[in-house]
Amino acid sequence: MENHLRELEKKSIAIIREAKAQFKNLAVLWSTGKDSTAALWLCKKAFFGKIPFPVIHIDTSYKFPEMYAFRDNIAKEWGFNLIIAKNERALKEGLSPEKGRLKCCTELKTEALKNLIKERKFDALILAIRRDEHGIRAKERYYSPRDENFRWNYKDQPAELWDLYVKPSEDYSHMRVHPILHWTELDVWRYVKEEGLPVNPLYFAKDGKRYRSLGCMPCTVPIPSTAKTIDEIIKEIETSKIPERAGRAQDKEKAYMMQKLRSLGYM
Amino acid sequence: MIILALDALDLNQVKKFNCKNLMQKEYGQTDLSNFNQERTIVLWASFLTGKNMEKEIPLKTQWEFQVPIEQTFLKFFKTHEVIDLPAFSYKQKNHAEERKLLKAYFEDKATVEEYDEVIWRNHRENKKDFLNAVGKFDVVIGYFNLADAIGHLSFGITEKMAEVYRELDEVAGEVKDLDSFVLVISDHGMKAVGRYGDHSRNGFYSLNKGLGLDFPKITSFYDLIRRIVENEYA
Repeated sequence: MENHLRELEKKSIAIIREAKAQFKNLAVLWSTGKDSTAALWLCKKAFFGKIPFPVIHIDTSYKFPEMYAFRDNIAKEWGFNLIIAKNERALKEGLSPEKGRLKCCTELKTEALKNLIKERKFDALILAIRRDEHGIRAKERYYSPRDENFRWNYKDQPAELWDLYVKPSEDYSHMRVHPILHWTELDVWRYVKEEGLPVNPLYFAKDGKRYRSLGCMPCTVPIPSTAKTIDEIIKEIETSKIPERAGRAQDKEKAYMMQKLRSLGYM
Repeated sequence: MIILALDALDLNQVKKFNCKNLMQKEYGQTDLSNFNQERTIVLWASFLTGKNMEKEIPLKTQWEFQVPIEQTFLKFFKTHEVIDLPAFSYKQKNHAEERKLLKAYFEDKATVEEYDEVIWRNHRENKKDFLNAVGKFDVVIGYFNLADAIGHLSFGITEKMAEVYRELDEVAGEVKDLDSFVLVISDHGMKAVGRYGDHSRNGFYSLNKGLGLDFPKITSFYDLIRRIVENEYA
């Protein structure tokens, strides 16, 4: 493995092990996308092949069929404890993106996770976010405390000097742990190639298009691409000037802003 | 008297971009604590009338709302020219086009660049009208929504906001040496939501005379203007 990837992996594994040692009830979130699959692989490596905590998949029921198939195959092959969380109440009420994307996202993702945390009393969650994904994620720390409403005060975060990750003694509901925060999109793809990780077929180009970031079907669009292999994806990203999440039609900020401008009467 | 009504001009941003013309002899933050929401039309109507107009202006029809001149401080002047001020002489066509593009942006039917182009075009039109009117009336109010309109979609992009504040500072520079009372006032401030901008309570005011106002309410300028017209501050 090239030295750079080895260093990234080493740090990530140390963070995962540290989290397992520090928290009583840890879990890892898995969307089935490339980042969380890489993080899952790191969890597996950190504990010599067996992930010693549950893997949570938040099922909005609007994901691509390929994502569900991928999820079930990997879960079977890697043999971990998979928890599938759904907001059944909202789904029964017929919630969909047409009824407001922000509301849909909040109910089907955030609320589903909130309920699960409450029910299973998780005190820490591993998430595969990266600093280079988005401006606000660049402000994240490896250990990121949240309150019961998932609020995060980025202006009040402890320094993480000398790779010391310390949980605050109080004032948080659960901790977000971000083991691949320091990775880039390119790092992930190079690591996927190096380790021979399984890849969701949606990432590969079909009819001149591919998905660069996976989300729910109604809110995710493919980007123009001819990349049909991991090498071609790496080559494409090396020269691309399009942001990674450009295909995610509505990010949360945009949806929030739209709702806010509506409330002010602009639209 | 000259009033620069600058939508969403934010005290912190004025300082950050070192807008020397906007920061006149006296400047600071306005007090918006008696408003539930920072609604543009409501705040400008309240500025004009000296009364909190929140309950009188329904959200649905707000852009058409107009305050009768008898209820505004304009009645204290013999002649006036008010360029594009919400709740008084709002250029409906221009702003309807802006809002249409804003909606189109959120529906992925228009780009930020297309939206920005229209905002800047309308700004240039207002600037021309404003500079033409200066010196010809007892009071001239020039309204510019550049900081608000560009800020809503690009507040987190420093280069863009620097350009906006540079431009607004330049407009203030055009009137700073005139022998006239100059008030620069915003309806509200702005805060970042990622790349976007949301209304905040961090409004701005500045005067080319030191009057020692301390965190003035936006509604308090009505009385201040009346007293200036009555020569109390001569």
